[in-house]
Amino acid sequence: MIGRGSDITFIVDENAPMEEVVRELAKQLSGRQGALFSEGGVSINTGRRSLTTEEKYLIRRVFEENSGLKVFRFVSTIGDYVIESDEYLDDPPRGYPWRFLQGRGTSRTLALDRNLSDLIGGNRRNRTQAMLIRSTFRSGESLHHYGDVVVLGDVNPGSEIKADGDIVVMGKLKGLPHAGASGDNEAAIIALEIASPRIRIGNCEGAIQAAGKTQKRRKRGRGAETGQPSIAYTRKGAVYVSPFAGRFARYTKGVLYDG
Amino acid sequence: MMGKTIVITSGKGGVGKTTTTANIGAALAMRDHRVVVIDTDIGLRNLDVIMGLENRIVYDLVNVIEGKCRIRQAMIQDKHGLELYLIPAAQTRDKDSIEPAQLRELCAGLEQEYDYILIDCPAGIERGFKNATAAAQEAIIVTTPEVASVRDADRVVGLLEASDLHRPRLIINRISADMVRRGDMMSQRDVKSLLAIEVLGLVPADERTISAANRGVPVVHDARSSAGAAFLRIAARIDGEEVPIQEISPRPGVFNKLRDMMGMKGRAYSHA
Repeated sequence: MIGRGSDITFIVDENAPMEEVVRELAKQLSGRQGALFSEGGVSINTGRRSLTTEEKYLIRRVFEENSGLKVFRFVSTIGDYVIESDEYLDDPPRGYPWRFLQGRGTSRTLALDRNLSDLIGGNRRNRTQAMLIRSTFRSGESLHHYGDVVVLGDVNPGSEIKADGDIVVMGKLKGLPHAGASGDNEAAIIALEIASPRIRIGNCEGAIQAAGKTQKRRKRGRGAETGQPSIAYTRKGAVYVSPFAGRFARYTKGVLYDG
Repeated sequence: MMGKTIVITSGKGGVGKTTTTANIGAALAMRDHRVVVIDTDIGLRNLDVIMGLENRIVYDLVNVIEGKCRIRQAMIQDKHGLELYLIPAAQTRDKDSIEPAQLRELCAGLEQEYDYILIDCPAGIERGFKNATAAAQEAIIVTTPEVASVRDADRVVGLLEASDLHRPRLIINRISADMVRRGDMMSQRDVKSLLAIEVLGLVPADERTISAANRGVPVVHDARSSAGAAFLRIAARIDGEEVPIQEISPRPGVFNKLRDMMGMKGRAYSHA
């Protein structure tokens, strides 16, 4: 958050889950510090995160309900370019359950916490709400995103990624992924190599196989060999891994990921 | 020219941070730079022992930061007469005795006068790590080719990338070529591909490193040591020289010699 002349710029952490951003904003604005921003214009810098119309609207509402500030602009950086969006939404986007934002006091904030995942992203599978991670995801890092997660690097051992949607890794997946974390068994995990000790999809869980067993299966030529693009998915409550042949291909001969 | 503060860190203990600091410090000083090495492992100091300066300590880092002495009084010159100075850690205090900002200020002052300030970071990722990394503009991560050590290095790279030290460089220490060949040790390629950061140097396992440290003489002073030669090359790279990374190969056999004579390349390790 940077004050600059008469304008205030809010910089939103590009990796923080949306819930957290909104919760934190509401807290900051309604709390003690909120009094500092009695009125004025706000420009919001979202870094590399690209916000959907709903999210922009939501953020604007949080500002205007908790302070006298008016959001007049969204700015985001993608690569080296700065993209400015002058969209100013006066009406809630269609299908937006904005009743959760009505009223004042703490109950509203709680309602936000509980329902935000439903409001934005969630299980609506025909829409992408991807978070792009432009680096290796390292040991000790953890993330919970309400939509899909795409990592442009390896996911190293000791890290955790939870996504309400799919997890796509353009590298080796060795951390602990949980796709469809809100209970969606239709979610999938795709990686250039899947080598996680445990995989969770929706409410199913699979563990990596003992080396001997994998060897045997590999000889039979059924399973995903190491070093090839693979997809993990669920069938009848169990997690399977197959060589990747498209997100919506019919997979029937996968290897059970069951330890 | 303004000096540069570099932190040498690892996460895991016992991988050779202190030895690396002493050797890079000495190697940079041998390249006619003015160098200060700071031991921030307060309570468990070692750098003075490895540099053979233990019995010359009068004042330490905490004394300087608390204003009990001037910084020059705590700086102990290397016994080989190089422009290399050690600021030892206090042994009777703990990591909470200093603040990250205080160390930053101290290093900013030293940067006016010296070319390189090397900070020997304690193991772990708690207070001592925060103190040490806050002061630096660059970071060097030391790891051995062992799974536990690489895992911790990965964690540290993540923490550094989240702070202002965006491009840490890697030293892989104690590589045993024979063990790699037998498949008993992670190869430098495995380590590199997991950590995905620039490699600053590969240091072979060398018994002379241990005996030199026990004598209080960094191994770079030993002309016959392969590890010493590796540290000299690392110092050259820190200095901005383009020195190709040398693969650590098993003892030269007939086949290797023949291959060298015919100008063929060794196994294709990719060096970034």
